Amino acid sequence: MVSGLKEKVGEVLLPGDEFCFEAEDTISLTEQVKPEKVVCGPGLRRSGDRLLVCKSGVLRHKQPNTFWIDSQQRRYVPVKGESVVGIVTAKSGDVFKVDFGGSEQASLSYLAFEGATKRNRPNVQVGDLVFAQFLIANKDMEPELVCIDGSGRANGMGVLAGGGLLFRVSLGLVRRLLAPHSKIESDLKQLFPCELVVGMNGRVWVHSCSVQQTLIIANLLQSCDTMTAAQRRELFRRVQQGVL
Amino acid sequence: MKDTPLSNCERDFLLKAIEEKKRLDGRQTYDYRKLKITFGTDYGCCFVDLGKTRVMAQVSCELVAPKENRPNEGIMFFNIELSPMASPAFEQSRQSELSVKLNRQLERCLRNSKCIDTESLCVASGEKVWQIRTDVHVLNHDGNLMDAASIAAITALRHFRRPDVSIQGDEVTVYSPEERDPIPLSIYHMPITVSFSFFQQGTYLLVDPSEQEERVMDGLLIIAMNKHREICSIQSSGGIMLLKEQVMRCSKIASVKVSEITDLIEKALENDKTARKAGGRCGYAESITQERITALKMDETPVEVTDVKETASDIIQKAEPSPHKVPSLVVPVPGVGQVGQGLKNTWGLEEEDDDDEEEEEEEDTNDNGSAEQEEDLTVMEEEPHKTGESREANVVELSDSEEEEVIILHPETPDRTPKNTGSTSHQKGAAKSKKRQKK
Amino acid sequence: MMEVCGSGIVNLREFGCEQSLLSRPDGSASFIQGDTSVLAGVYGPAEVKVSKEIYDRATLEVLIQPKVGLPGVKERSQEQSVRETCEASLLLSLHPRSSLTLVLQVLHDDGSLLSCCLNAACMALMDAGLPMSCLFCGVTCAIDTAGQIITDPTATQEKESRALMTFAIDSTEHRVMMSSTKGSFSVHELQQCIAVSQKASEKIFQFYRDSVRRRYSKTL
Repeated sequence: MVSGLKEKVGEVLLPGDEFCFEAEDTISLTEQVKPEKVVCGPGLRRSGDRLLVCKSGVLRHKQPNTFWIDSQQRRYVPVKGESVVGIVTAKSGDVFKVDFGGSEQASLSYLAFEGATKRNRPNVQVGDLVFAQFLIANKDMEPELVCIDGSGRANGMGVLAGGGLLFRVSLGLVRRLLAPHSKIESDLKQLFPCELVVGMNGRVWVHSCSVQQTLIIANLLQSCDTMTAAQRRELFRRVQQGVL
Repeated sequence: MKDTPLSNCERDFLLKAIEEKKRLDGRQTYDYRKLKITFGTDYGCCFVDLGKTRVMAQVSCELVAPKENRPNEGIMFFNIELSPMASPAFEQSRQSELSVKLNRQLERCLRNSKCIDTESLCVASGEKVWQIRTDVHVLNHDGNLMDAASIAAITALRHFRRPDVSIQGDEVTVYSPEERDPIPLSIYHMPITVSFSFFQQGTYLLVDPSEQEERVMDGLLIIAMNKHREICSIQSSGGIMLLKEQVMRCSKIASVKVSEITDLIEKALENDKTARKAGGRCGYAESITQERITALKMDETPVEVTDVKETASDIIQKAEPSPHKVPSLVVPVPGVGQVGQGLKNTWGLEEEDDDDEEEEEEEDTNDNGSAEQEEDLTVMEEEPHKTGESREANVVELSDSEEEEVIILHPETPDRTPKNTGSTSHQKGAAKSKKRQKK
Repeated sequence: MMEVCGSGIVNLREFGCEQSLLSRPDGSASFIQGDTSVLAGVYGPAEVKVSKEIYDRATLEVLIQPKVGLPGVKERSQEQSVRETCEASLLLSLHPRSSLTLVLQVLHDDGSLLSCCLNAACMALMDAGLPMSCLFCGVTCAIDTAGQIITDPTATQEKESRALMTFAIDSTEHRVMMSSTKGSFSVHELQQCIAVSQKASEKIFQFYRDSVRRRYSKTL
């Protein structure tokens, strides 16, 4: 199956496509064969001895045996450990309710901020933006966000204050932005100095020294979604020449 | 579903940008977004794209009796449908405040401005007039629904052709488009609405607000005007105080915008007319551009179906023949016809119920026996196979434990099972029949 | 036995599709078969009303908006056919206590409307990235008075036909997921129509694949 999967890497797959495990009759009895382990990411599901594709998109592969489907969906489904940009919609008792664009609002305890105690509550208002990560995220439970890491440090999370602009991009673009050695990010770096917070839920917060620059960055990023790398570089180059 | 909440950050940034005379999409204060008008396959169907806002208007007509106080006038009906597709905040079949407001505004703009000659829609005075119905469907909501809806509605009305009619005596004949060319509506002028949004208590003004700008704005001024610079309706909402000069300035801007939009509509109508005359295909299908990677078209495709006949007969031959036994009619009492026995009534008196519990099986068989007798009396064709089936219906009522009991008692029965029934019912039916025979 | 489809070849009208054409919905697509066109928008998985919440799967709501007037009985029955087909192919248990809303707007009806609705629905669900066990497509067959099978009939062909059948067919095993029929026909004709639809469905699935491949052509 692994070879079958590897052949298809980079190709577009549709729901209903499937891969079968190879027949076991080729295993020799004398040699010690290590069973191959395949890790299935989003869009792939195991069903008995078959592997089913359940989302349309491009099949990706990572060494040694991790496979997933890269799709361009817009609606976010929470995953434990992912960081998102959320909007505080209500304060109720000890928790804030946070909208992150999923099917349910997440809860965020007021103690889940760096340095927060029962006496020293964080200053969070309804309508504020928070950058937080999921502590609990599964389909059967209410999602829970925290603004601290395992050691109690903020580590960049917390309320996003001081102006800036929030806008939406597709989830596919977010993953491309956050990928290690992202080309878009390095291209963007050469334009203006700016602060960029990218949530896995497709919300991006950008802050730079002027309204003009913030708007340019927001519009550039939104248009990156439908451009090839060459088109993007050309556009970035033109912007750089036009503004500087 | 709830709409996404607006964060403080977006609100502050928008206001700050407006103060600096900048808009999120890079437009100037008085700019409209890109306006695109396309037509559907049939007359009176029009799509309007205003930036990402998209609406569709469809005009239809019907012969109805006129209103009593206006026997010589046709009836105009407008409806803006906020489809749940357009925004998660819109709900099916719920009259929201926004929908009432938009409908009222469209009526004021198009009906009350008397832009359509309703008297020409009269067929027979006091008896038959045309009712012209305009449905505007909002497909995607990205702000300024009013302007998009008004442009779509008036363009669709201009594009519409109603069937020709003739009256001979009392008889009204409606001609199909093949017999006589359909007739366009007579429209005196084209009112178009232009929306202005105000920020910071009227200090700043923007034309054609987007959805985000609409959420932040303090007030809205909607001016409906035609290209002769006649104001057809004017509405201010949001409760802001406007100065006389502001309203004057807005009406001046509106006159410029209206003449631009009117020109565009005329051009679009002209294009469509020439396309239709040339006999080319027109409609929604043609408006999809092939240049986008999200769109794909495929020509007419032949499907090879030579072996279909064989496959079909194969399947039919392989399929089990349907049972030809039709349960015979039962006449329990004169005047009642019945097929099969159905479920036993459990609404009997207490004593019977007790009996049931004690010896349900026996009761059942008795019951069946009696039914059998009755059938024997009425229809003589009744056969054991059929009774077996009717037994199944009765058995459904029994509890699980009882079924098991029956199966354990008579494990050797399968040789008697009738064909073409489910496996579980085999045993049951067989067990029963055996039991009955024992009796 | 009446002679059916003598020529050995049936035609599907030209079809077209555009994905992600609306900015608000999570997934959208328009599907065109000849002049028949349907626009579909999907929201979800999103917040569900308490009254409609199902504890172990997502609630799917299908709405069909006619072009003129308000939805009536005909639309309701079509909604149900589409909903049952979608429910069979979607993996609803992966998103319990959430809602999926599928809105179909009829843009033009020139025959085979239900199959066009099904195709638009499938493309929109795929565009929204909802987990599905298989794809589905709709094929309409008409049997005319001479006993010929016409696939993807126009409105006039539908009117002149003796029987009209619409099947939803799944992509993995080409099985019939839903059928909706009108008029009278023999068992043999029904089987033939199913076989024709299964053949035609292969073309439609290939078209699905081509359009999705084209859509991802820039991110390969």
